Amino acid sequence: MKYATTVGGQTFIMDVNRDDQVTVDGETLAVDFFSIDQVTEFSLLLDNHSYELLVNEADGDYQVLLLGHLFNARVEDERARRLAQAVRGFAPTGGELQIKAPMPGLIVAIPAMLGHVVQQGDVLVILESMKMENEIKAPRDGVVSGVRTQLRQNVEQGQTLITIT
Amino acid sequence: MFNKILIANRGEIAVRIIRACRDLGVKTVAVYSDVDRAALHVRYADEAYHIGPPPARESYLRIDKILEVVERSGADAIHPGYGFLAERPEFALACAEKGVAFIGPPASAIGAMGDKAVARATVQKAGVPVVPGTEGEGGLRDKEILAVAPQVGFPLLVKATFGGGGKGMRLVERWEDLPRALVSARREAEAAFGDGAVYLEKVVEGARHVEVQLLADQHGNCVHLGERECSIQRRHQKLMEEAPAPFVDDDLRRRMGEVAVRAAQAIHYSNAGTVEFLVDKDKNFYFLEMNTRLQVEHPVTEMVTGIDIVKEQIRIARGRKLRYAQDDIHLNGWAIECRINAEDPFNDFVPSTGRINALGRPSGPGVRVDSGIEEGSEITPYYDSLLTKLVVWGETRGEAIVRMRRALREYRVIGIKTNVPFHQAILESHRFHGGQFDTTFVEQRFSMDEDVPPELPRVAAIAATLAAHRRGQEATQIVHGPTQDVSNWKLAGRVKR
Repeated sequence: MKYATTVGGQTFIMDVNRDDQVTVDGETLAVDFFSIDQVTEFSLLLDNHSYELLVNEADGDYQVLLLGHLFNARVEDERARRLAQAVRGFAPTGGELQIKAPMPGLIVAIPAMLGHVVQQGDVLVILESMKMENEIKAPRDGVVSGVRTQLRQNVEQGQTLITIT
Repeated sequence: MFNKILIANRGEIAVRIIRACRDLGVKTVAVYSDVDRAALHVRYADEAYHIGPPPARESYLRIDKILEVVERSGADAIHPGYGFLAERPEFALACAEKGVAFIGPPASAIGAMGDKAVARATVQKAGVPVVPGTEGEGGLRDKEILAVAPQVGFPLLVKATFGGGGKGMRLVERWEDLPRALVSARREAEAAFGDGAVYLEKVVEGARHVEVQLLADQHGNCVHLGERECSIQRRHQKLMEEAPAPFVDDDLRRRMGEVAVRAAQAIHYSNAGTVEFLVDKDKNFYFLEMNTRLQVEHPVTEMVTGIDIVKEQIRIARGRKLRYAQDDIHLNGWAIECRINAEDPFNDFVPSTGRINALGRPSGPGVRVDSGIEEGSEITPYYDSLLTKLVVWGETRGEAIVRMRRALREYRVIGIKTNVPFHQAILESHRFHGGQFDTTFVEQRFSMDEDVPPELPRVAAIAATLAAHRRGQEATQIVHGPTQDVSNWKLAGRVKR
């Protein structure tokens, strides 16, 4: 199976067709990819160089934490590449943007008001967690289309607080 | 010696205190909230009592509930740790009234140093130089603050009068930003310390945060145990500390130590305490504040002096005379501490909550781990994000740095995000190696993305690819699905061996 994997702007063409070998941009390497906890922790032996890493799949991309550095990897297999090329040209539509709580906590202030025009960087909500105040800011310009939380509410991580169009 | 000590705290410091008690043969009593039932300090103590729901103000800050546990358990002393009630004079007073020993300074000293504005005025009278700021004592109203701010000069810091731990502080560059900073600082201070009073302090450019550890007995004797460098901070919260401080020579150490002892004696201090100074590029030092409690970073001083500060605290509270004169204190080698927090350094240090599924601790020569967590521990948003302190000792600063790199690499936490990669990046930084940093280093001169070894992106790519490949193999072994569903997979031909 052929793959094209992109990390930090570099694309590597890989061939995985055996358990103990991988070919990267034409070079063949001995490989042992051992799962330690069956979920996210792996020990990788690459031509006998030993690496411990954490691999997390998020929204189709792979996050790899290796020796204190975090990498974002996009892995496309042959099929996915053909599909991607077929749908290229469709621009993403602007739509309603949901601003979610990045962590659980307590809402202590809601500067955002329904109908207000906001600019990128404006503070929408102030969330108190682990005894510190965290400002949740608008990621882009827009209009506040919904305020889905209230003062002194305890919110969960990922809970929608504000919507912007 | 005391028979039984109640630890009015949680997490790593509660475990630390229990250890000192065990080393002295004293029994221990733990208190816990709903979410701390399975916490390490509860499992480790001799007795444990439930004191309420998770929010601190309904449990760990409830003086009445804690004194009730004193009654039930028969404890004859309380150690408050740091944070929570450690610097509340009313708690020290309540302990005195109850007839239970408070392992810390007298309530009057806590009060004198607790109000930062009063503290500055008090030590100034004793001839101690202070960081320029609002003069006089007492709480200032917004109008008065706005009026006096131009005299203090910009940039300045709005600081919580009863603050600590970097909370309730705001940096203000221009007068126009001051009103909003006041609202925000007061609110955070109110939530963290129960009082929104603030004062102003001029920003000392290029300042390093150097603090001096003190031990004083109840008989008027006071010694200093050398200094600590704490300039690696983010949002005014310390992240990394070391002892001794990289650019403090013997003469500066002696002078700062003498001034610190003088400040302590001016308020009839006893037990452990720390005087914090700002030191500018010309080695002038200014009193910042005094912490009338055991501090988070005390282990680095313990590692270079060989003195167990918590054991000494307990002895002093029992009325014993200090075992050391200043000439007995020698600094040997170098120690570094990294605070491991439940935060994601790749996502603006957003706090990370969840369950710790796996934990691997560093060990070996010169490595000390002060931890409050175990496998299975739940990290919740109710308390601060400190999980563990990794502390190393080396004969030289260079050896300590290499050892810390090893310790960080050995430290594994699965289930939540930690700031370990941040510490690893700091330890790679040339400026850190050279000791060339001040309190602005993390926020202004440091980036997580620097210096990626060139071979790593390829390794990461290979790992991601193999993980994806494995996932693909596992997925195609479960070939089900409604036949009427027309999906991309089917269109592209999904059948594989």
